[in-house]
Formats: sequence, C-alpha cells, structure tokens
Amino acid sequence: MAATRRLQKELSDIRKSENNILKNIQVDESNILLWQGLLVPENPPYNKGAFKIQIDFPAEYPFKPPKITFKTKIYHPNIDEKGQVCLPIISAENWKPATKTDQVLQSLASLINDPEPEHPLRADLAEEFTKDKKKFMKNAEEFTKRNSEKRPID
Amino acid sequence: MGEATSASGGSGAQFFQLQVTVASAKLTNTGGLFSSKPDPFLELSVDGQPPRKTEVCKKTVTPKWDEHFTVLVTPYSHLEFKVLSQNTVRNNTLLGHLSIDLYPLLEENQGKCSKYTKTYTLAADGKGKTGDLVVTLDGMTVNLAKFPKKTTNHQANGQVAGAKAAARTSRTSGTSGHGRAAPPPPNRPVNRGASSPQSTLPSSNSNQTAASPAVAVPNGIVPAVATGAADSGSETPGTASAPPQQMPQPSLPNVPPNTEPLPAGWEARKDAQGRYYYVDHNTKTTTWERPQPLPPGWERRVDPRGRVYYVDHNTRTTTWQRPSTDLVNNWHSWQDWRNNRTTATAMEALQNRYLYPNMAAVQPENDSLGALPEGWEKRVDANGRVYFVNHRNRTTQWEDPRTQGIIQEDPLPEGWEMRYTADGIRYFVDHNSKNTTFQDPRGGPSKGPKGQYGVPVQYERSFKWKLGQFRYLCSSNSLPGHVKITISREGMFEDSFNQIMRLQPFDLRRRLYIIFKGEEGLDYGGVAREWFFHLSHDVLNPMYCLFEYASNSNYSLQINPGSSINPEHLHYFRFIGRFIAMALYHGKFIDSGFTLPFYKKMLSKKLVIKDLESIDSEFYSSLMWIKENNIEECGLELYFSADFEVLGKIDPHDLKEGGSEIRVTEENKEEYISLMTNWRFTRGVEEQTKAFLEGFNEVVPLQWLQYFDERELELMLCGMQEIDVDDWERNTIYRHYQRSSRQIGWLWKFVREIDNEKRTRLLQFVTGTCRLPVGGFAELIGSNGPQRFCVEKVGKETWLPRSHTCFNRLDLPPYKSYEQLVEKLTLAIEETEGFGQE
Repeated sequence: MAATRRLQKELSDIRKSENNILKNIQVDESNILLWQGLLVPENPPYNKGAFKIQIDFPAEYPFKPPKITFKTKIYHPNIDEKGQVCLPIISAENWKPATKTDQVLQSLASLINDPEPEHPLRADLAEEFTKDKKKFMKNAEEFTKRNSEKRPID
Repeated sequence: MGEATSASGGSGAQFFQLQVTVASAKLTNTGGLFSSKPDPFLELSVDGQPPRKTEVCKKTVTPKWDEHFTVLVTPYSHLEFKVLSQNTVRNNTLLGHLSIDLYPLLEENQGKCSKYTKTYTLAADGKGKTGDLVVTLDGMTVNLAKFPKKTTNHQANGQVAGAKAAARTSRTSGTSGHGRAAPPPPNRPVNRGASSPQSTLPSSNSNQTAASPAVAVPNGIVPAVATGAADSGSETPGTASAPPQQMPQPSLPNVPPNTEPLPAGWEARKDAQGRYYYVDHNTKTTTWERPQPLPPGWERRVDPRGRVYYVDHNTRTTTWQRPSTDLVNNWHSWQDWRNNRTTATAMEALQNRYLYPNMAAVQPENDSLGALPEGWEKRVDANGRVYFVNHRNRTTQWEDPRTQGIIQEDPLPEGWEMRYTADGIRYFVDHNSKNTTFQDPRGGPSKGPKGQYGVPVQYERSFKWKLGQFRYLCSSNSLPGHVKITISREGMFEDSFNQIMRLQPFDLRRRLYIIFKGEEGLDYGGVAREWFFHLSHDVLNPMYCLFEYASNSNYSLQINPGSSINPEHLHYFRFIGRFIAMALYHGKFIDSGFTLPFYKKMLSKKLVIKDLESIDSEFYSSLMWIKENNIEECGLELYFSADFEVLGKIDPHDLKEGGSEIRVTEENKEEYISLMTNWRFTRGVEEQTKAFLEGFNEVVPLQWLQYFDERELELMLCGMQEIDVDDWERNTIYRHYQRSSRQIGWLWKFVREIDNEKRTRLLQFVTGTCRLPVGGFAELIGSNGPQRFCVEKVGKETWLPRSHTCFNRLDLPPYKSYEQLVEKLTLAIEETEGFGQE
C-alpha cells in the first residue's frame, strides 16, 4: 500500500518521541489507516482524564488529510456531540502532503487545552465559556470525571 | 431521524401512499399590516418530514393550486398544511394552518380514503379562523383490524416539534449529514409519472416493456409495499404479524449510533481483539463497518440468478446498490434538481439554446466543398448509405474524399493550387516556382499573419466553420427513411436502452421518429428534443450508479468508479455512448453535461494536472504542492505507487514497473506527477470509458470530432445560451481590484464587444462549463458551494490571465492598456492548452 510506508515511519517516530501527545497508540497490523489512542490534556478542566481519539487516514493519504474523531465524550466548545472536531491544519484549504500526524496532534492538543470559542462547533458551550467561565469550568470538570477514561500511568 | 422505522430492514414498515390534492383556498387573513393581497402558497408536511410546496399564486386571496402530492403515510400519520404568503425580503407570513390526523378519518370511512374531499377551516394562532382550504385525499385503503387504535393521537404533534428541534441541533453541530441525517422525505408528486426514475431491474429483458408490476401501478391503487409483500411472500418477512410502526421518534444526535438495531440478517460479533465486526448472513460476507439499516420503504430482494438488489417502494424503483443514507440523500438532491430542471421554463431555456441553427438544419448536397475529385463518384448502397467510389483504383470508401484530412478554411497563398492525385490524395502546385508538394503551404511552423486581436491567425478557431464540417459529415453519412423509437414516459431509461441497443448503430443515423406511448403524434423534432432532454437526466440518476457528480455541488457528470456494482454497467455505458453520439449527430442538446476532462478523453487529448482542479481540488492542491516545493527534506515517503479505494476495497497500483520500490525524489518528481495525474483520471473507470467510447464510435466515428477542442465539444452537446452581460457584471466580485479599476472597465468593455460564442468561451475558461444555473450568474456554484464570478489582480502585465475553475476565479494581471488586455485574454481563452492555465 502506498500510504503504508509513510504511516509506518510516522508511527514509529511518534512512538519514539519524548513528549508524545498520544498515549497507548493502537494500530491494527492489517489496517494501518486506522489509529486509536489516548489524549491526555495538561490544562484544567480536562487534565483529570484521558480522551480516546480515532484517526482515520484515507487510502489516498498523504494526498488527502486524515480525519479525527473523539471516541470519549468531551465537554468542549470545539468538539460536537458526535466527537467531530474542526481542526484547521487538516482542512481541505490548508492541508499539505508534508504535514505530519505529529503536528496534527500538537495542534489538536493545543485546541483542547485552549478552546477557541470564536470558532465553535457547539454554540451553547462557547457561550457558556465566554459568559460564565466559572460555570463552564465546573460543568466541564464534572463531565470529565463522569465520562472520560483513566489517565495511563507513565 | 427515522432509522427506527427501518429496524426490520425496511420490509416491515407499513407505509401507504396517499394522494393529497390541494385544490384551492379562500383567505380572510391577508398576512400583515399591508392591505395588498398576499402571494399564497401551501406547504404540506407529513409527520414532521420536510415539507412539499405548491407553486405560488400571485396577489390573490382565493388561490387555486390544484396540485397533487403523493406522500408516504402510516395510518397514524399526521398531515400538517400551512398556507404562507411568499415575501421576498421578510420571512414568509403564515396565513393559516390545518392539521389532519389520518386515523379518525380512516375509522370514519372504514379504512378507506378514496376521493375524500372536504373543505377544512384554516386557523392561525390567536386569530381564530383565517380561511377555508379544499383538500382531497385519495388512494389509500387500510385494513384497520391490523392497526389498532392508539390512545394518544396527539403524539404526532410532539414529534413534529421534536423532529424540528433535532434537525436544528444537528445543523448547528456542523456535521455534514454523515450517516445519521434525516430520512428521505416522501417522494415528490409525479405528474404524468414522467419523473419516476426507472429500474435497472436485473436481467433486463428486451421484450419486457411493462417492466415490473411495481413500476406500472397507476395512481391511486394500493401501493406496492402491500402488494409486493403479498406477491413475493417468501422474500418479505410477514408484514401482517409485525406490529404496526408508529412514526419514529427523532433520535437525538448524542445517542451513540450503536443503539440502533442492525438490518435483518446482520449480526455484530467481536473478534479476538475485542473489535466489533459485522456479519451479513444474507450475502455471507463480513465487514468492519457497521451497516446502516435500509431507509424506510426499502426492501432487499434476490433475483432468480441469486443477485441481491433493492426495491424502493417509495418510488417503485429498484437498484443494485445497497441504499445508504448518503445515497438516498444524493438521490433526493438529484430528484429535486431534476424536478427543477423538468419545469417548462428549463425546457424552454433549452429550446432557446442554439449553435448556428441555419447550418445545423440542412446542409445542401453538393455544397461548398464543390465537385468530387476527378474519377470519384458518390453512390448509395442497398441500405441507403452513402459511399464513394474511386474509379481510378477501383476502391470504395465511406469517407468523403473532399473531407479527408483537415481542410483549412483560409485560401491558399497567391499562385498556389490544390489538386488531387489519381488515388485521391491531395497535393499542392506552386505556380510561382513550378513545384508540387504534398505539404500544405498554409500549415508549417510559421505562425503566419496576425488576426483581429493580434493573435496569430493559426490560433483563431472558427467554431462555425468546424461545425459546418461536422454537419457535412453527418449529412453525407445519413441514411434514408426513419428509425422509430417507442418509449413510455415511466420507463424511459429502460425502454430507450432496450431499443437503442437492439438497433444497428447505423440505423441511429436515420431520421429519428420518437413516440411516447399513448401520446401518438408526429415527431417534427420537438418530441425528439424532449427525449434527449429527459434521458440526459436519467443517465445521471445516482441509483443506476453509472455516473457521479464531479464535485459536491456541480452537476457535471463523470463516470462512477464503483459502477461495476451494477452488473450490466458496461452495456449501459455503451448505450450512453450511442445516445450521446446521437445527440451530436442529430444536432440535439442534452441538459446535463460532462466534465471538461471527460470531453478531453473523448478527443483523446492528454490530461494535464490543471484538469484535476475542477474534479478533485484537494488532490490537485497536494500534487501542486509537490510540484512547487522541494520535497527532499520533508519525509513524504512517496513511491511510484498509488492506492485507490473503490466499493470498500483498496486497490494498489504501481505507476510504473517496480514502482513500489522507486522513491520519489526532487529529480524524478515531474515523471511522478505526470503518471499520478494520468492514473487519477483513469483509475477505476477505464473499462467504462472504453465501453462508452465504443458505443459512441459506432454511431459517430470519433475522428469526426478531431476538429474540435473540449470546450467546443461541450458547446455542441449542450448548446449555447444567450449570455446576459449585465447580469454577469452585476454578480461579479473583485479581489485586489475595485469595480472602478481601469482593468475592470476594460474587461467589461471587452466582454461587451465580443460575440456570444467568445463570451461562452470566457465563461468556460473561468467556470469550467458553458452551462449557467437557471437563476443566472447570481447562482453560480463552485466546488465548495455558491461562488460568484470573481476577478482577482494577480501577477505582472507580461503574464497571461489564469483561471481557477473550482472557485470561478479569473486571475487578471494589471495590464497597461486595453489592447494588451484584449490580446492576452484572447490568447488565454482561445488556446488554453499550455497557456492560460499554468
């Protein structure tokens, strides 16, 4: 497969790197186009849990960008109820074949740590975030405790 | 969100067809403070589904619509009528509404709704009675014993609100209807039954004209869902025993998809790693992807040869492809578009398209080409086909010796003469130097004198002249008599397929005599025109899986790489090839065209990277990035191989021998880009293209097209429409230019000076097609939705203008004079290859 070598290299680079953002990366030997892993944000209110995400690479990778979905529910203005996230680096306009998954993950991590309420996917949460930050933090923290995965021990 | 209904794979859902006729209304509420009369129209919605709408009646309080809607209902359905006044600026004003619960009505009439006409009272919130509405319900018979009375008849109301709320939520969540979109609304009414898409029923038997019983059911009979179940009892799990289905509760977006039941015959299993996979016991296959249940009203069947197909009882059609929500949505958007196009206005617009009618009509025999060369004779064979005899060497041929080779229109230089050898080969005599040569003195490397706009004459095309040549080839190869093609409106695609493929290709060059069954009349061309118009829509029907839209919102056709899911697809492509050739041959237009790269393929022209832009802009951008950047240090890990996913399978392909071991480097990347471009255009569509071209070539030899370029080919097939320059200018936006910029003034001056053909060519250069939306330039669409014509200041005055067809954008350098702009723009639009577009 044409995308295999590229993805294998990216995968081993990510696994080797010191501060990798994605923990417990699982990739099926028979299908390297599908990755799963745990995202462990550093900032509150998400730093109490871990979030399972899935990365789907198209067969035409790296000509077409990957898609990212949250498998763990998250209380976040930029992630909708279905776990879809709008990340500029993998949008059709910005995608470059040289963009690495590692960069995509870094961009994802910074979006999770610092929400962008001005580009919301969930308008209700964005409003809460801007108008009543305290309430938002409280709700998000509770939601995280209730729904998120356990953080892996390093 | 109605997947719940289809829990049993569609076959258990008890849907009935109901004919709703909205006759007229009398309104006492005129809709607001203004005393002027409203422009009323009516919306009908069943159980909160997207509404169907009537036409708007202008300025009246007694609108007469007389429109019929065929809707899918259950005995518990709830019909909601809203009379609204159309406002151009404000939201539409509600003039009155009416709710009808079917169940009590059916109870009252012993389960029958047959020509039930009643004048209902319209009401508006807080205003009481606002008018009367005359409605007829017809064509529904239900055995009420199977449908017990429910205690809560008002539940439907709650659902309406719930469904709307859900729709709103899913919209704001910014999703693109992925998998969980709303169920298909009931089909639009089919007046005359003309627009019902025809079945690609398995083993399409050429004698079978009546098609399946499901297709031929006239209006107002118990719908196919009920009869179908009775007929083929073995296939359909007992509908009688299944509890009647209440309309589905809208499922909220945050419910995980896994709670939905699997379609009948499917099972979810876990593998050793705890991952789910799905077993389809019907076909004995497995897949990783969770199957979507069949949409409401669909049923899975198996034909006598064991092949699985799917019946859509909503529209009484069949397809090979398992209907996903996406497919059904595609089909609905196609259907809406088709219904839009099939209006009288669109047909009229098509009638107004033209090429050069005087030439297209009749090219008299023994015309401008002059007499045949010495020793040649024109004859007609027993079948009436014209051929040519060369008495000198005793050969015959179909081709006219006068049009063999490319004839140039411009005169020979002073002192030159053209002659033919004994064998009919053309040669040239130069009386000045007393030499002879086979070399045409008008060709050659010299670009020759400059023409009207400072462009070398050689680059000036003469579409009119080329068209004349083509028409001459057509008329000289026509056969006497006519060919009769009888089709039914309901079965247009299948009927046309059967008849056209049964005839000899040369028969299709006789005069066409098209008859719509039951509408016998003389075809003086109008009926044929209608046939080409309608059939060109039907080949696009996504249910046939033959063609797909080139991009999200662009209705240009390209071959669907997954078409092999339809086992007969190559026969259909051959048929469509013949059909398209017939349109060209008989000088008729089709309403939906192909992509420009597809026309290039018909002309066997090489496809270049720029051609990718309009059909796959993401792929194009990535390839361009590789072209424009140094790729040595960025770890692309590319090799001379590529993958393509079709019908869920990934198909690896080496771009050249051993390609998967050859790394792409800065040195060999040009070769890679060129191979990749070529592969992108051919992947998954080679066989189909071949079948199409073979079918085409049988009717019109492809060499006859050699005069034309792809833009001209599109024009020939779709016709030109008169371009409204005011509308164009009004709906153009600018980047880094102002409306008042000098160059913009020059641009519009130029557009106004050139003729319609050149304007069309400019339009093609920038938008990729000569076709305009029905609403004109204001509704122009790019690859990401609405996209107005845009002119951007780019580059230096020495550059040629460029275009970006996926954004409808013209890059116009800041030229220093009007003359310069005219010269550069003409060069760019006349000779796009190797010039304007990169």
